[in-house]
Amino acid sequence: MSMKKNYVVETIRKTQMLELLASGQRLDGRTPEQHRPITLKVGVIQKANGSASVTLGNSEVLAGVKVATGTPFPDTPDKGLLVVNAEILPLSSPYAEPGPPSEDAIELARVVDRGIRESEMVDLTKLCLIPGKTVYTVFVDVNVMNVDGNLFDAMSYAVVAALRSAKMKKFIVKDDKVEATDEMVPIPVEKIPVSVTLARIGESLVVDPNAEEEGAMDMRITITTDDEGNVCASQKGEAAGITPEHVLQAADTSIMVGKEIRKTIIEATK
Amino acid sequence: MIERKQVIPGDVITRGDFQWGSYIEKRGDEFIALRVGLAEVGREGVKLNPLSGPYLPHPEDQVIGKVVDINGFGWVVDINSSFDGFLPASFVFGREFSPSTHDLTTKFGVGDIIGARIESSERSRDPQLSIRGHGFGKIDRGEIVKISPTKVPRLIGRRGSMINLISERTGCDVKVGQNGVVVVSGPPEAVGRAVNVIKMVEEAAHSADLMGRVDQYLGGVEDGA
Repeated sequence: MSMKKNYVVETIRKTQMLELLASGQRLDGRTPEQHRPITLKVGVIQKANGSASVTLGNSEVLAGVKVATGTPFPDTPDKGLLVVNAEILPLSSPYAEPGPPSEDAIELARVVDRGIRESEMVDLTKLCLIPGKTVYTVFVDVNVMNVDGNLFDAMSYAVVAALRSAKMKKFIVKDDKVEATDEMVPIPVEKIPVSVTLARIGESLVVDPNAEEEGAMDMRITITTDDEGNVCASQKGEAAGITPEHVLQAADTSIMVGKEIRKTIIEATK
Repeated sequence: MIERKQVIPGDVITRGDFQWGSYIEKRGDEFIALRVGLAEVGREGVKLNPLSGPYLPHPEDQVIGKVVDINGFGWVVDINSSFDGFLPASFVFGREFSPSTHDLTTKFGVGDIIGARIESSERSRDPQLSIRGHGFGKIDRGEIVKISPTKVPRLIGRRGSMINLISERTGCDVKVGQNGVVVVSGPPEAVGRAVNVIKMVEEAAHSADLMGRVDQYLGGVEDGA
């Protein structure tokens, strides 16, 4: 029995998709700039410092935040640690297999991590206790529960919401020793980065591709923007190239769509 | 009137001397159900129509599949089952097929939808497909609808009565695979109506006088238009 690696889109379905896109429509009835409905719930895991569950259409992810203390990296002795990790569960899709993380899962975690890090969402300098010795370590672990395309954005929203709603134990430094207190404080979150992924199918760019559109896309680009509309991070995927016009168009669309989604995240994490 | 009764695995459907179909085991003179479904005893013997379940390939079944991979010797076809079908290149190019001279992609590419017949289905190998015969091969237009494979007999109807009614009334060409894949082609509005009625048949598959309901649904739309 051969292993199924990827979702193959039927040729006749792709033809329909391209015909509709030529007139600015999509198979599921959305416009090219429209994302699928987002639901965002925080505090879904009681034992975690912070958590969030996000559905983006039928894609579903669950994020959990764990804060502890540890030693900093040698090159950043005065900064706390932030590690974002992703796991695509075998039950999430017929194409996901158990075992070490797949290439897709690694890219997913890297792209989301980069968006959070480069936007300077979390002020890592505030997470330092004793420079070079002890800092706060923030681990964000994400499980993908269901795959229906665009995991980048779903995961990014879950991580941002989980970090925004997280409460960590406050540590104090006494006689060069770190001591835990009973006080719970929020993680020093400064900004709200929003990631928006676009796929190029034929000559059209579409926001938030679903699994079918991802199966038919030639190229995808994920752009993360911050509150002021600055582009903080981006990642291009798949084999086909991208024109400079499309890069600019994608950036503009990300900023525009991102503004709207940022409101949703603020509303859910109030 | 054929008597239908609901059965669960282990139920004795009937006793006696009959022919029997899938999902039934004969022990002594008892016919025992292996699945949840509707059992009937008629002139054709003992039959069990399961209420749900995946598609299990049987030889001579006509299926609609999607090419998901090509290797040197043939096409791997997703037939909506737990098994992938395999269509050997020699069944398409003939006896003189050689991997070095024939390009398989000229016939079918990845993503193409094909109508095929199950040639053989053994437990030790993937089911083999064939496209020999009338009406098989590439399907290059239409809307794909998936229904539960257990509802396919209802969609086809007695001697194709249901499917003929749907295609006559909507003016669409409807191809039904025994694996639950249906391809509808025709003018866009007609395709929409045909898809809706196919979904209705799937949902209301157990109801009595399904034919009448379909007739009314399609007739009603025509009157209203």
